[in-house]
Amino acid sequence: MKPLLQLKNVRKDIGKKTIIHDLSLEVFAGEVFGFLGPNGAGKTTTIRMIVGLMGMTSGEVLINGISIKKDFEKAIQHVGAIVENPEMYKFLTGYQNLLHYARMAKGVTKERIDEVVKLVGLEKRIHDKVKTYSLGMRQRLGLAQALLHKPSLLILDEPTNGLDPAGIREIRDYLRKLAKQEGLAVIVSSHLLSEMEMMCDRFAIIQHGRLVGIESVQELSKQAQKVLITVEPVEQALSIIKRAYSSINMKPTNQGIEVSIDYEEIPRLNAMLVSEHVKVYGIQTMTKSLEERFLEMTGGNEIA
Amino acid sequence: MPSIISLIQNENMKIYRRISTWFMIGLLALATLAGALITKATHKEQQNWKAGVASEIQTLKEQLSDEKLPKMYKNHLEQQLKINEYRLEHDIRPVPSNSFWGYMVNSADMIQLITLFTIIVAAGSIASEFSWGTIKLLLIRPASRSKILLSKYAATLLFAFCMLLLLLMFSSIISAIVFGIDHIRTPYLAYQNGNVVETNMLFHVIRVYGLNCATLVMMTTFAFMISAIFRNSSLAIGLAIFLMFVGTEVTALLAMKFKWAKYLLFANTDLLRYIDGVPLVKGMTMSFSILMLFVYFIVFNSFTWLIFRKRDIAA
Ligand SMILES: Nc1ncnc2c1ncn2[C@@H]1O[C@H](COP(=O)(O)OP(=O)(O)OP(=O)(O)O)[C@@H](O)[C@H]1O
Ligand SMILES: [Mg+2]
Repeated sequence: MKPLLQLKNVRKDIGKKTIIHDLSLEVFAGEVFGFLGPNGAGKTTTIRMIVGLMGMTSGEVLINGISIKKDFEKAIQHVGAIVENPEMYKFLTGYQNLLHYARMAKGVTKERIDEVVKLVGLEKRIHDKVKTYSLGMRQRLGLAQALLHKPSLLILDEPTNGLDPAGIREIRDYLRKLAKQEGLAVIVSSHLLSEMEMMCDRFAIIQHGRLVGIESVQELSKQAQKVLITVEPVEQALSIIKRAYSSINMKPTNQGIEVSIDYEEIPRLNAMLVSEHVKVYGIQTMTKSLEERFLEMTGGNEIA
Repeated sequence: MPSIISLIQNENMKIYRRISTWFMIGLLALATLAGALITKATHKEQQNWKAGVASEIQTLKEQLSDEKLPKMYKNHLEQQLKINEYRLEHDIRPVPSNSFWGYMVNSADMIQLITLFTIIVAAGSIASEFSWGTIKLLLIRPASRSKILLSKYAATLLFAFCMLLLLLMFSSIISAIVFGIDHIRTPYLAYQNGNVVETNMLFHVIRVYGLNCATLVMMTTFAFMISAIFRNSSLAIGLAIFLMFVGTEVTALLAMKFKWAKYLLFANTDLLRYIDGVPLVKGMTMSFSILMLFVYFIVFNSFTWLIFRKRDIAA
């Protein structure tokens, strides 16, 4: 499948400092791609280079196969984006702001503006000046301007910032729908990891301007993980497990026994316990959360 | 790709949807009215204009008899003399400042105010997008940076043009009401190829307006450049206004000592002196000044363009 967005060895130097080190990645149509990294990792910088706000020191960004550097106008016309906070013209109304961006795109009709306004749930306030908007309302207006021209690549830098829980959920569902039903490629950067986990198909984790890893949600749930087993008697079970797996990580808790074990080993462990007449009431896999994976890969809370 | 017209439409929306713009327009109207009222209150009516012109002729003749007078002053004085003689001969009254045309010609001084307003608009046009943070969403559209810049520049000049039209309109209405239109048929006496000719007053007023615009266009372009380089509108406004007021004085001082002063911007912005005054440096002509202005115009705009096109947007 042809990627919608391709980064090839993208590098950015500012002064003597290298902010992005030869970053390469691909994003495909129909997927929601998460962009994760601690503060100052270079997420926003990368997004700025993708949309042509910043030049690259070397490397190439291709959108739909078109180079953003060589043919900006053509490459950017299928991109909708929010870069950091969606700052709007505060002295204009929400509607006038949208009109402004509509005039800059091809074939955005009045009907389309109304449609988008409805979609982001701003009908009641769209004719008010933006300076009277709350943060969440501005975020919604930002989303509206990004969707106005029906882009095929949507790039959102922290889109859920400032939204209420209902709003976050709406956006999440809507982004997934856009990707699955309309085949958009959506790139989302966020700090809310649990949020990203529910929203994204794949993630790139970057740190100090380097790609630390790309993972898909499925892979994440297949890795070595914790299993909570509820058994009786606990003592017997503990000794059985210790006998079978000598160097295993194991901890009795109130709910049962927490064991770190490979995904494939779970059925064998179960069979073993049952054959020794231990009563097994439940086996619950505690998938490694994105948060743990993130902390593991980036080595904790270190700011670049 | 959006047409340049829709981009200019956008810029216009951003100019005219702001209260400050309407405040400027109101101020312009008010200043025009105040000027007219002050002129009416302070002007002393001349009893006998013929006697006045006759005594002026006397003074001019005395000055011309001075042998050491430089040639360029001499030409200027001779023109004045011929025109004054023509007045007496054909019974054409000089236009006093408290008449319809007199005030219309003087209203061209208000162009300084328009220059100030246009500098403010020009400086804000680029710098505000940076300080508001809206530049990010503006530059991720299928319009090249060059096109966006052009639309901003065009909208700024369009604003200046509208203000000039408004000034012409305000001053003619106010002038007609305050001073009346009794002498509206008075011609303007111009000096062409050694002869005095009667020309249309309106044409003269428009020409005075036009020639006054050199400073306006140049300082606007300058403010636009500073605003693109430093992304700071106060700096651009301050620098442009400072230069506008100090530049003329300093250039005049330099011109007394050095010939190269004629290449300075402010030696060339006052085009009016070529029709009723003397050149700043001997040998300077209207076409030389226009050429110099054109060179500065190109230089300023090239800088703006080069910088705006390449800049990393990290706002
Ligand atoms: N104009 C600049 N000059 C110098 N360094 C810069 C500039 N802009 C960004 N940086 C540096 O680049 C690095 C990446 O910044 P960036 O804003 O891309 O991070 P981020 O991943 O978006 O962080 P956050 O999660 O806080 O939004 C930071 O270390 C920052 O200090
Ligand atoms: Mg960021």
